[in-house]
Amino acid sequence: MLVLSRRTGQKIVIGNGIEIEVVSVNGEGVRLGISAPAETSIHRYEVFSEIQAANRAANVDDGQVEQMALENVLAHIRPRQK
Amino acid sequence: MQTITINQKEYLYGHDEVISFAEGLIGLPEMRRAVLLEMNDFEPFRWLVSLENENTRFIVVEPEQIFTGYERFEKGITASENLQTLAIVNLSSEWQKTTINLRAPIVINAETKIGAQIILSESDYQFAETLPEI
Repeated sequence: MLVLSRRTGQKIVIGNGIEIEVVSVNGEGVRLGISAPAETSIHRYEVFSEIQAANRAANVDDGQVEQMALENVLAHIRPRQK
Repeated sequence: MQTITINQKEYLYGHDEVISFAEGLIGLPEMRRAVLLEMNDFEPFRWLVSLENENTRFIVVEPEQIFTGYERFEKGITASENLQTLAIVNLSSEWQKTTINLRAPIVINAETKIGAQIILSESDYQFAETLPEI
């Protein structure tokens, strides 16, 4: 991992279009300002890894479990539907 | 038409139905092309199947079909007639433990077939929302 030292107001550049600025430092907290192209998604790591884990868990790999489970879910939700 | 086989069952799809995910799904960057297939016996659930790897597949549902009060526009998704919103279902053998990811839905432009998984940062919905009580 590349480790750089920066002061408040200084920036780093990643690739051709991503800039990260240290906006302020307060004790253990750091505020970062990020400029990136609109198509680049930016997430807090905790949120990203939570969704990553959720996606991986939802990836269906067992056809047997899936059919029975779907029947159970439908038995529960069908009365709600018009 | 192309065919794809899931659980020994063949499904048909056309080239114009292929959805492009420029960034893949979150944590699954390799899932760039996928199709949405009707699960006839299990309506309103559908398959979202990767065309790169048939073993990468999800059960998805339009949240409105299950969560009657689901208001996607209030939850940060830009209002557009052509946007289809789908939530990934995480099945469990017990229905009480089955959850739906309402916080990070998949949004697809029905016209261009371009899709993305987005994170609703200002939302009370959960990554693992349990099914509503009757």
